[in-house]
Amino acid sequence: MTGATLVVGLGHGDRGDDGVGPAVARAVAAGSAAGSGVLVRTQEDPTALLDLWEGHDHVVVVDAVVTGSPVGTLHRLDLGADAPPLPPGTWAETGLAGTHAFGLAATVELGRALHRLPARVVVVGVEVRHLEVGTTLSPPVTAALEAAEELVWREVAADVPG
Amino acid sequence: MNHKLTDGGHVMHVGTLARVEGEGAMHIEMRDGRVTDVQLRIYEPPRFYEGFLRGRAWTEPPDITARICGICPVAYQMSACWAIEDACGVSVPEAIRQLRRLLYCGEWIESHALHVYLLHAPDFLGYDGAIELAADHPAVVETGLRLKKAGNQLMTVVGGRSIHPINVRVGGFHRMPRVSELRALRPVLEQALEDALATVRLVSGFDFPDMEQPYEYVALRPEVGYPIEEGRVVTSGSHDFEVRDFPAHIDEFQVPHSHALHARLDGGARGPYVVGPLARYTLNHDRLGDLARNAASEAGLGPVCRNPFRSIIVRAVELVEAVAEALRIIDGWSDGSAPSVAVPPRAGEGYGASEAPRGILFHRYVLDEDGTILDAQIVPPTSQNQAGIEADLKALVETWTDLDDHALQHRCEHAIRNYDPCISCATHFLDLTVGRS
Repeated sequence: MTGATLVVGLGHGDRGDDGVGPAVARAVAAGSAAGSGVLVRTQEDPTALLDLWEGHDHVVVVDAVVTGSPVGTLHRLDLGADAPPLPPGTWAETGLAGTHAFGLAATVELGRALHRLPARVVVVGVEVRHLEVGTTLSPPVTAALEAAEELVWREVAADVPG
Repeated sequence: MNHKLTDGGHVMHVGTLARVEGEGAMHIEMRDGRVTDVQLRIYEPPRFYEGFLRGRAWTEPPDITARICGICPVAYQMSACWAIEDACGVSVPEAIRQLRRLLYCGEWIESHALHVYLLHAPDFLGYDGAIELAADHPAVVETGLRLKKAGNQLMTVVGGRSIHPINVRVGGFHRMPRVSELRALRPVLEQALEDALATVRLVSGFDFPDMEQPYEYVALRPEVGYPIEEGRVVTSGSHDFEVRDFPAHIDEFQVPHSHALHARLDGGARGPYVVGPLARYTLNHDRLGDLARNAASEAGLGPVCRNPFRSIIVRAVELVEAVAEALRIIDGWSDGSAPSVAVPPRAGEGYGASEAPRGILFHRYVLDEDGTILDAQIVPPTSQNQAGIEADLKALVETWTDLDDHALQHRCEHAIRNYDPCISCATHFLDLTVGRS
């Protein structure tokens, strides 16, 4: 395992609020100094996480979520190997709900089944609503970017020894 | 949802199909043990790609249409390139054709591995999905993920990235990969070849319901080799025509229950037709390489396969073929070829087709003299297979009337997944009529 904390922004920048994960990840990347022990990636396909997080024991994933809370609300979820499994059926309700689009929850549970799930996976979710192709972040999600970035940094700091 | 009708009939309605790409539903009505109605209801919203291609430049379809699908973008890019080049009267040299085939092999490997292992195998092994399968058989799922990753790596090296490649352009590629880059893939592909052969052995041991499809099979057939990136259109009814005659033989039409156009061959007089792995295999068995043909033989497949449930074996055989082809092309690659040829615009109509993982994908474009697109037509494989899927369900459900509703639903979904339907591709277009008074 490597000491570097991996930060992954999941989503697509041309699909409205779905771009919030990559936007937060880019902000974290811009603010992280070389040798800070933080590795930042953006990714469209959640299944790529299985390879991306190989060798990391602490991963922070930033993703758009829809729970019915006010748009811009931040969520925090522990999903790592040290956390309890997600309820059955969760996987079918995530991602784009298709076969080709294996969602984040499915990827986490597949990783758990294959013993390829890092000990600590924290999801920083940003509540979104507008996901139309060809649009950018909505104002309430843009307004939440700074707070989301701060939450990511707190998660990263929680893993820094001493 | 299942309910009895007051006249003794029975309705089964599955509101959202699982493990298919996109949003679709299934509706079946039975009376007196007979199936009276089967509808594959594709309700994913229409996407109007053909509409917004009009007015765009002739250079844009490969990148625009690639966005129709995240799993078969190369198919859209290749069919678009052939069609635009046909309209402009341009032919590309052999090196570009070979690289198109290589990129396409990456897509087949990625798509087939995903479908065989994560979507279809759980049906045969009695699991709800890949996660449950992985818990009991981690090595099986790991093999699938390793294969999918090999396909991704090949697409990344040739196409620039694994989803929606950026290296494709009308006339060829933006950049040719170097011999050293391609040769570096060899260890990954050698492992993938072992994994693909193991996949054939694995899936050939599954139990398969008895079924023989009577439908006409339609696939491409190139001058040499197994059909992937190009070819003439051939059918099991001994018909054989150029890609430019596709619209003369195959027309699309709307049905009330689907947002995806249905299609019929020669007016539909000979019943539904089917495209995809079974059609490709049956019409091109003699074109498989030795490794894939021997693997098929050892798996118990003859030169004809008409059982849709055995499509999983054919996909596995095609995995072997795609990996072996990728290795062959890489070994024969040399540096120094021009990445593209010029494709100056001219007024005209062009046609292109290639074998997407799910079957023939046809494109047609009409250009004006400065290359502006005046008309576009895209016929994806899942649209063409809707009638075949419904006919399969009708035949199968009548033999499954003794099953309880839960088991019947599961079997029906399994039968639909035989086609690896891509609903997002199928709903790229719908005629929209707005009445105004």
